[in-house]
Amino acid sequence: MNDEKKINIVLAGQGNTGKSSVFNYLTGLHQHTGNWAGKTIEKLEGTLYYKNYTIDVLDLPGIYSLTTYSEEELISREYIIKQKPDVVINIIDSTNLERNLIFTLQLLELECPVILVLNMVDLAKKKGVTIDFLKLEKILKAPVIATVASRGYGLTDIIDKVIEIKEEGTRDYHIPEYGKEIENIINQLSVSLKETELPYPKRWVAIKLLEKDKETLKTIRQINPQIIDLADTLGKKLEDIHGHDPDVVIADERSHLASQITREIVKISPHRKMTLNERLDLITTHRFSGYLVMLLILGGMFLFVFSFGNWSSSRLDLVFHKWHDRWINSFGNAFIFSLVWAAIESVLALIQIALPYILPFYIILYILEDWGYISRISFLMDKLMHKMGIHGKGCISFIIGLGCNVPGCLSCRIMESRRERFITAVLVTLVPCSAVSVIVFGLVGKYVGMLWAFGLYIFAMIIIFAAGRLSSKFMVGEPVELIMHMPDYKTPHLKTIVSQTWDALKEFIYIAAPIVIISGVLIQAIYLAGWMPAISGFLSPVTEKWLGLPAITGILLIFGILRKELILVMLAAYLGTTEFATVLSPQQMITLAVVSMFYVPCVATISVLWKEYGWKKALAVCIAEILFAIVLAGIVMRILDFVF
Amino acid sequence: MTRTEESRRLIDLEDGQKAIIISITGGKMLIKRMADLGLTSGTEIKILRRALFSGPVQVEAVGSRLVLGWGLASKIIVKLHE
Ligand SMILES: Nc1nc2c(ncn2[C@@H]2O[C@H](COP(=O)(O)OP(=O)(O)OP(=O)(O)O)[C@@H](O)[C@H]2O)c(=O)[nH]1
Ligand SMILES: [Mg+2]
Repeated sequence: MNDEKKINIVLAGQGNTGKSSVFNYLTGLHQHTGNWAGKTIEKLEGTLYYKNYTIDVLDLPGIYSLTTYSEEELISREYIIKQKPDVVINIIDSTNLERNLIFTLQLLELECPVILVLNMVDLAKKKGVTIDFLKLEKILKAPVIATVASRGYGLTDIIDKVIEIKEEGTRDYHIPEYGKEIENIINQLSVSLKETELPYPKRWVAIKLLEKDKETLKTIRQINPQIIDLADTLGKKLEDIHGHDPDVVIADERSHLASQITREIVKISPHRKMTLNERLDLITTHRFSGYLVMLLILGGMFLFVFSFGNWSSSRLDLVFHKWHDRWINSFGNAFIFSLVWAAIESVLALIQIALPYILPFYIILYILEDWGYISRISFLMDKLMHKMGIHGKGCISFIIGLGCNVPGCLSCRIMESRRERFITAVLVTLVPCSAVSVIVFGLVGKYVGMLWAFGLYIFAMIIIFAAGRLSSKFMVGEPVELIMHMPDYKTPHLKTIVSQTWDALKEFIYIAAPIVIISGVLIQAIYLAGWMPAISGFLSPVTEKWLGLPAITGILLIFGILRKELILVMLAAYLGTTEFATVLSPQQMITLAVVSMFYVPCVATISVLWKEYGWKKALAVCIAEILFAIVLAGIVMRILDFVF
Repeated sequence: MTRTEESRRLIDLEDGQKAIIISITGGKMLIKRMADLGLTSGTEIKILRRALFSGPVQVEAVGSRLVLGWGLASKIIVKLHE
């Protein structure tokens, strides 16, 4: 391909500004979007073909500053400096312009061509905010484009501008200027850097040295330690004048400039009616009604999943039942046909038993996420979370974990310290995900009673709380305080929710169906080969003696490590019916549900734990949870003796 | 103009009151973290509402809405501003 016709662009900006929405629109890919900061955790590249150009687009995680606090920040800035993208697209949330501009100024310090994209102008308008785009363009000397990313409005303008910049062939940029004293000191320092060969812009290095940025200090110390001494002396000078550390002085300078610019370009109309979303915000974060609404929303969610799941599951049962009879009539019970049917049966069981519960869970969670409700839960629950040694943002991971533990564990990166990340991740593995809800609702809810199913969820919450208290005792460390941007509610976008649910559904089918088929055939083969008694017998001290479950559950629990819904799906496939009451007593159902909830994270979650925290910790978590779940379920079973 | 000069903790303000940050009594890391968000001495800050018990507070500052943990909010010293 012709090299000249290639363009690299990067989407950068603070959290929750719409970067991934822009990315999805441009590349046709499906990055996860939602209304809270910190969804994108890994950079992702996509390609766009436009006007004979091949444009590589990179979606970055949202970051608040370009100092090296977090890995995301370091990766983002190294990428921008070293890979030298043709243009950096700075996605800005117009409703939070001032705060976003602080980041923009840091981006401009990197001396690269920047396009300022003022996104969410629809919401700004609703809030009565008018922005003078031309003036902003003049002040920062960078092109400004207004967009509504969720609806695709203005996004092709960005690409047209990118191509224009590329065709002009200049890497044009403008550097913001701070106060005189600071500029003076920055200048002195950059002059002393003249002789040194650096992959970074000199002025930027000077600023970072004054800010005592760890990475920069390390690099310069190797090249020329004298410069660091000079930076120290100059930094002291700044400190004497302003009474603060130089890094704070510089940050201060940026925020002053940002607020000055904002004052010049923004007009807010003072009198306007409160929007529906603003009223809802008042109710849902109110110190009393907020908690009430939270209980109603979460309770309503479980109720909906339960009723919808049961209803559609029975509907499907009627349909699939006929299919089985027809199969037997046409093929009989020969060995090979029985294996084929085992495969078909497993998929049918998956669709009939798992999907009806998993699907509504995803839909509701996506709606809550896109609306912006999850951050409200963080706000309301922060105090309680502190008792577990983490803060309110951990709730975001918990709620995501209700859908699936995998993204739940990954989202723990929003926690600031490694200690908090790990505690949160471990607690997320105890959150009953939608696969577990299949067992809780489809087994306990359906055959023992809805209140028992709800009781199991409350039980899980208590266990998580207790585990949190315990881990906060063992893993000592500075408690980190909650600092979180509260996003405004956004009216959930139907198309986004439909497409995200569709993606989840596709993934579910692509991943779960093959696993289910293989497991189904394997179990059937083990059964036909006559090995079942041996395996079940081996596990029976635990399953039969301690937990009082039928021997068959042993092998189900083993396959359940692959995906937890397999426990019930395989049971149904094995029995050839979903009438679980014929093989399990209510007490056994509850015991099985308790084991399934806690006994081990599924393989996908284990692999995330492994990747994020190393195999030792992942293994330790697995072993601890297996032992814990077995002991716990055995005790529960014995207590239930008094009830049933 | 009575007693508006008096300094107090952010957490001691009433909901809806506006104030100006005088100082942040915390470690360097915290001060820097706040500065990166645009919160330094001289910044205007308004308490919107708070959660139950000594839970976090919602504030408006730098033209956007922030949630600050109680412990943090009690380290921010402010004076009332009308
Ligand atoms: N009303 C409106 N909503 C938008 C607009 N752009 C994005 N959104 C919504 O804003 C939320 C955040 O969008 P994302 O694209 O996920 O933001 P992001 O910058 O990738 O976020 P992180 O990856 O968490 O940093 C989503 O709920 C979007 O649907 C817009 O222009 N108008
Ligand atoms: Mg994103």
